Amino acid sequence: MYRFCLLALLSVAAPASAHEYWLSTNTWRCAPGESVVVRAMVGTGFRGELKPYTPKRVVRFTFEGTRALDLLPVGVNGESVWARVTPSDALGAVVCYESNGTYIELPAAEFDRYLALEGLAAPLAARARLGAAAPPGRELYRRSCKAWVRGSDASRITRAYGLPLELVPDADPAAASAGHIGIRVLYEGKPLAGALVRAWRRPSSAAEADSIGPSASARTDASGRVSLALAGEGRWLVSTVHMVPSPDAKLADWQSTWASLTFRR
Amino acid sequence: MKLFALLLLLVAAPASAHDAPYSFLNLRFAPGGASGTLTAHVVDLAHELPGATPDSLLTPARASALGPGLFALLASRVAIVGDGDTLRLSYVSAAPDSERNGIRFAFAAAGASLPYDVSIEARLFPYDPQHETYVNAYVGDSLRNQDLVDARHPQVTFTTGAAPRFRTVVRRFVAAGVHHIFIGPDHILFVIGLLLLGGSIGRLLKIVTGFTVAHSITLALATLGLVTPPARVIEPLIALSIVFIGIDNLRALHGGAGAPDRRPWLAFLFGFVHGFGFASVLRQFGLPAQALGLALFAFNVGVEIGQATIVLAIAPLIAWIRSASSNAGRRVAFAGSLVVGVAGLFWFAQRTFGL
Repeated sequence: MYRFCLLALLSVAAPASAHEYWLSTNTWRCAPGESVVVRAMVGTGFRGELKPYTPKRVVRFTFEGTRALDLLPVGVNGESVWARVTPSDALGAVVCYESNGTYIELPAAEFDRYLALEGLAAPLAARARLGAAAPPGRELYRRSCKAWVRGSDASRITRAYGLPLELVPDADPAAASAGHIGIRVLYEGKPLAGALVRAWRRPSSAAEADSIGPSASARTDASGRVSLALAGEGRWLVSTVHMVPSPDAKLADWQSTWASLTFRR
Repeated sequence: MKLFALLLLLVAAPASAHDAPYSFLNLRFAPGGASGTLTAHVVDLAHELPGATPDSLLTPARASALGPGLFALLASRVAIVGDGDTLRLSYVSAAPDSERNGIRFAFAAAGASLPYDVSIEARLFPYDPQHETYVNAYVGDSLRNQDLVDARHPQVTFTTGAAPRFRTVVRRFVAAGVHHIFIGPDHILFVIGLLLLGGSIGRLLKIVTGFTVAHSITLALATLGLVTPPARVIEPLIALSIVFIGIDNLRALHGGAGAPDRRPWLAFLFGFVHGFGFASVLRQFGLPAQALGLALFAFNVGVEIGQATIVLAIAPLIAWIRSASSNAGRRVAFAGSLVVGVAGLFWFAQRTFGL
């Protein structure tokens, strides 16, 4: 119990920059002719605020069903509804979103605390080597999100969609029978070892206004795989973050990529 | 267990100002003026009102009572500029916006005509570096621009599609021409390279005129879409022209007084290449279809102003050095030509091989 509480505590104590970001849909089941409304949320502990849409941040925003629909031109800047799309079949669809980088700067101590909370061991160790000389955290963060609108074809969620950081389940995570789910974490298309993957569950009974602690968490193995116990009904958010030295040192020292996968069981 | 619950509540408090640091500026232009709405979150507004709680602002009566004062404060942090003139925003009304958990202010701005160039700069809540303002601008019912401003990028600029006024086009494109000359070390070095050997006023005028005539021709041809060679060809050629000027200067210095001065012809020849380079820059500025000729002329004037400034700064200096000591003049010309040639080579390699 104490372990759970500690996890909950850590998850909601994250600084502003460490907020999870996920896609939310009005329906989690694909039905032909029934419109899917896409929104995005940002927050901690699976308690989020609506994030307004802006084409300025979008690198990719697609609805991956029978074919990929480009949703970028659909949304209107500043609107909380990002897109409305009508699936052509009941096989399932994945909404994919990739953002460009947003800059944030945090004081050194706060940045280190955030790295520790997110389990970002490599950048934390690199900064520790600098000791007291570690500068403020200059970071570009980008988002890499998927939402699974379930259908009868599980292969639509078990395949990778080429996002920069991606959570790819081995089986349909929204299936009622799902328990332990194997997930591959891919960074730039390659398996990512040592990534901390966490999952939150919001049961139907849980109030929207409450932050909740993660239900499961584990690090990926050498082949970029992790197995999480994702048992129980409700909405699920699976998330991970990866940070590397920024490819452009003039812009920032670090670049983080936040991946999320949302679904409902 | 209770202790954990308490800690959870404590740390769950927002780390930044709040979790929805957004505001929304909608602006609608019409002949005769502009109108719009500005919606700000109650947490941000309460921050500006010591003692006020955010939720207390969400009643129509309270929003209406505080509206004029709050709007005046926010309007002082927004600058909407049309064709160089700052719009004066006047308060119309304020009402709660429950969907955005904020107050929506309506405003108007009188104006004689629809502007062509618009710039919007907003720093609505400087206390929060994460604050973002979503800016949508309409002309009539048509959405012309959607953008986002924040602490690092507080300004957006766009054109409305209206017919631009004469002074707007002249001001914008003359400035663009001058700016392009001064931010482009390649053009500066090319002109300096042509001046290093000195010469009479008549000779320098021939060189500058040759360059101007040639680049004006290709600038016009490319801008009008008659000849549009790709930048991947033109940019390395511009670099090569600089190398060539450096080498030709060294040749002339080596040949002594009897060596022919080919600079007017070289300036004329390479002017054609530089004109294509100018055109690619001009296109990036968004040429007004209704005033293409004027924009082209104004840009060219700007380029000439920039070029003339360099000539007026460098030519007298070189003349003075040469008059003080012909040896010193030769040394300066030699060293300068080497620099010009090497810089040109560097740019050529950079532009050709992406180094």
